[in-house]
Amino acid sequence: MVMTTILEIIFIILLAGIIGLFFLGLSRKIMARIHWRYGPPITQPLIDIIKLFNQTSMSHGFLFNFGIIFSLAGSVVVLLFLPFGRICPLSDSGGLLVILYLMLIAPLGLALSGGEAANPYTSIGISRKLLLAFGYELPLLLILLTVMTHYNTISIVEIVNKQFQAGWSFQHLSLLLPGIAYILILPAILGFRPFELIQAPQEISSGPMAEYSGKFLALTTIQHAFNIFISISLFTNLFLGGAANPGYFFLKILAVFVIFLFANAVFPRFRIEQAIKYLWRWPSILAFAGLIIVLITGKNF
Amino acid sequence: MNLSIILAIAFGGALLTYFSGKISKKARDVLAVLISLVIAVILAFFYNTSSREIFYTGFLDFPLILRIDTFSWFFAFTIAVIGSFSIIFSLSYIRKKGNTDYYYTMMLLVIASMIGIILSGDLVSFYIFWEIMSWSTFLLISYNRGPAIAAGIKYIIMSVTGSVAMLVGIISLYSHYGTVIYTELSGLLYNASSGYTIFIFVLFFIALGIKNAIWPLHVWLPPAHSEAPSPFSAVLSGTLIKIGTYGIILLIYVIVKINVFLNLGEGIVSARYIIAVTGAITILIPTFIALLQDDAKRLLAWSTIAQAGYIILGIAYGTSESVASGMFHFFNHAIFKALLFMVVGAVEYRTNGVRDLNSLGGLIKKMPVTFVGGLIGICGLIGVPLTNGFVSKWLIYKTLIINNSPFLAFAALLGTWGTILYSYKLLHNMFLGQLPEKYEKLERAPFSMQLPIVILSLAIILFGILPGLPLKVINSIESGFGLEPLTINIWGITSDTGTINMLNLFVAVFLIGIMIWLIFKGSKKSAGIGQYDNYAAGTTVPKNKYHYSVDFYGPLHRMISPYLRDFIDDFYMSLARSIKNLGNGIRRIYTGDVGYYAIYIMLFLALLIFIQIKWKLW
Repeated sequence: MVMTTILEIIFIILLAGIIGLFFLGLSRKIMARIHWRYGPPITQPLIDIIKLFNQTSMSHGFLFNFGIIFSLAGSVVVLLFLPFGRICPLSDSGGLLVILYLMLIAPLGLALSGGEAANPYTSIGISRKLLLAFGYELPLLLILLTVMTHYNTISIVEIVNKQFQAGWSFQHLSLLLPGIAYILILPAILGFRPFELIQAPQEISSGPMAEYSGKFLALTTIQHAFNIFISISLFTNLFLGGAANPGYFFLKILAVFVIFLFANAVFPRFRIEQAIKYLWRWPSILAFAGLIIVLITGKNF
Repeated sequence: MNLSIILAIAFGGALLTYFSGKISKKARDVLAVLISLVIAVILAFFYNTSSREIFYTGFLDFPLILRIDTFSWFFAFTIAVIGSFSIIFSLSYIRKKGNTDYYYTMMLLVIASMIGIILSGDLVSFYIFWEIMSWSTFLLISYNRGPAIAAGIKYIIMSVTGSVAMLVGIISLYSHYGTVIYTELSGLLYNASSGYTIFIFVLFFIALGIKNAIWPLHVWLPPAHSEAPSPFSAVLSGTLIKIGTYGIILLIYVIVKINVFLNLGEGIVSARYIIAVTGAITILIPTFIALLQDDAKRLLAWSTIAQAGYIILGIAYGTSESVASGMFHFFNHAIFKALLFMVVGAVEYRTNGVRDLNSLGGLIKKMPVTFVGGLIGICGLIGVPLTNGFVSKWLIYKTLIINNSPFLAFAALLGTWGTILYSYKLLHNMFLGQLPEKYEKLERAPFSMQLPIVILSLAIILFGILPGLPLKVINSIESGFGLEPLTINIWGITSDTGTINMLNLFVAVFLIGIMIWLIFKGSKKSAGIGQYDNYAAGTTVPKNKYHYSVDFYGPLHRMISPYLRDFIDDFYMSLARSIKNLGNGIRRIYTGDVGYYAIYIMLFLALLIFIQIKWKLW
């Protein structure tokens, strides 16, 4: 029992890392092709990470190191709560609310680490990250509450199971509006354009990354890979019915990722206040309407 | 051991401290710490006992009663412990200032009267201790003079208004039922008309709500918390406003009883929902206002109001999980908010009174222990998993979602996300970023400040991993109230609708953290560099200026600040102004000059004579 759990944990962490890095490589390739370039090989992020681990790095002190480790640990722990196919090692330790809270460790860790770097570019990036998160959390919380109220549970495993019986959440009419709202905010959660204002290389020198070098950059890249995997998995589990086996699940998240990549390739960038105004307007209105509809139609389970 | 002995030690100790200060400063410091610790230790021995005694009968023939049960033990013990930590913290904080004898006496008096309120067994002694607390608090808030006097006056005016309302309520209860003792009153309102119950509720809520700073009765709190001496802010925020919480629980679950409370009104217009919605508003508005603050203590003060909203929401919602979460959050908030005020106090002490978030920075290098305290404090405040705030917040969200109140859950969740923003700002602007040159010689906080900070930080982690410890006490309180206790074990809570297990989480985070740390350690060692070796787009790093702290959330600030003026405060201030104008108008008539009064009398007589001649009325 314990043995299988440990094996599952190792399996999930490795697979999520590989998928996340594959996505990063794929994104560079697809973006390049859309821009009429050839692009680097798909393995480029992995090569970069190996290279970065061998380079000299600069540290600004204890919190600078600790924040990165804390952030990466936060991301990895979230993986254990997300159903991957049907594998979910820590399914009975708190459900969706815990996931919601654990997902905040990663940005908090990066913010602490970046804070000690004593560089205004970093601080501006962090400030934008927190503001953007505040912007998309408003509709996201409404969406998650709608889903939890609709299925009358706070366990994500149960939500997935109920979708096996009754079809994807998108097929439930009362969850249609929240689903659309989720699609509208997913680029902001992923940090894709038009919401790519946290790093904004041309403007604030990669923001939170400005002071990182060597192994720090390598670890943040890994963290970024996990982050992409987590954000898309959560959406897939909640609205696209999860999956019965890991292979099918991978195909689903790949499809979602590629679609948002296309949007990323063609959009320019919002300013932060434009982003917040956008997020607090249409997605929030849709999510709000969805919640009211679910309250009126009553619990279906 | 008698309960009246505790009060005798507390009140007698307060006076004794004053006189011992006249003889020797050292003896006074030792005495103050000793008294506060002795009270806490004695109270600890009362764990899981219940007793009741009449301590005085001479007051208008009311038997004044003290009683202790698990409910009052939980509150009294928390108050005593936080109180003694805050007195230890005061030792060096207050040394540089004048009037120290007065300070310690008032501090002990506040703690004594709070414990008196909690241990009271009837409403008359409750009221007496309540008044002692209000006045001694007023004297301490105004301790710093200057703007602190105005803050104190604002507090005492609101407090007196509340006390008068409560007094009317107590008198009304007495004239209806002929008793003011909790055990005799309890359940009597079952037969009362709902109109009378609401009347009693409103009267008590004015008093309790003002003390607990529920929106829209919160306006005294931000100036009072920010102007009071920091160790006292910790007591104010951590425990004193929770006396209001205690009173609300007492009113709802001991005097009125849960079954009457839940049947008071129907659906959305029931007492339960109205108070819960007020709690939700109390979470949301102050959270947004806290985002805009630039004064560290003012930011924490607004945060206190918001966190009190969670407690009220939990208590008023009335399911056994929500009430447990309300009481657990009271306990947690007492710990982490006291800690945060101490952290800010330590920085204020070392930088000679700077609490402006725009002029600090980089202090992590100079005050590492204080920083770690601040970090753990904000983690608890946000409710990061493995800190105590997480479990209490998880409980409230869960019960709100399962019982079909997603909008209340939304307010609570969104409040948490706002909390992340303002608490990161607090930490970043004080401790992170560039260290200004003038603080390069700063020393660490003295031991008497670090000790409470370290202990409270450890408590946050301890109760985060072992939430079963306080929940066990809360469970037995709940069965006393007639609520169904939760199924708990030491690591967490189990139930059909959602289980939480902090052990799994702790092991997972710990092992994964160790693994990543090993990878980090194993790879190439990094070179340490200073703050002037930074990336600066090709130029040298400017000293004292290379810190992004002013207007940290500028874009959001510009968006929301027009909507977030404190309209309630403006309303009260205009009310105060019109009363002042009325007074000025009256003063024109009552000039104090006998000549004028003679003329008034003459005019009045003339009027009477005129009326008599004209109409022959009498």
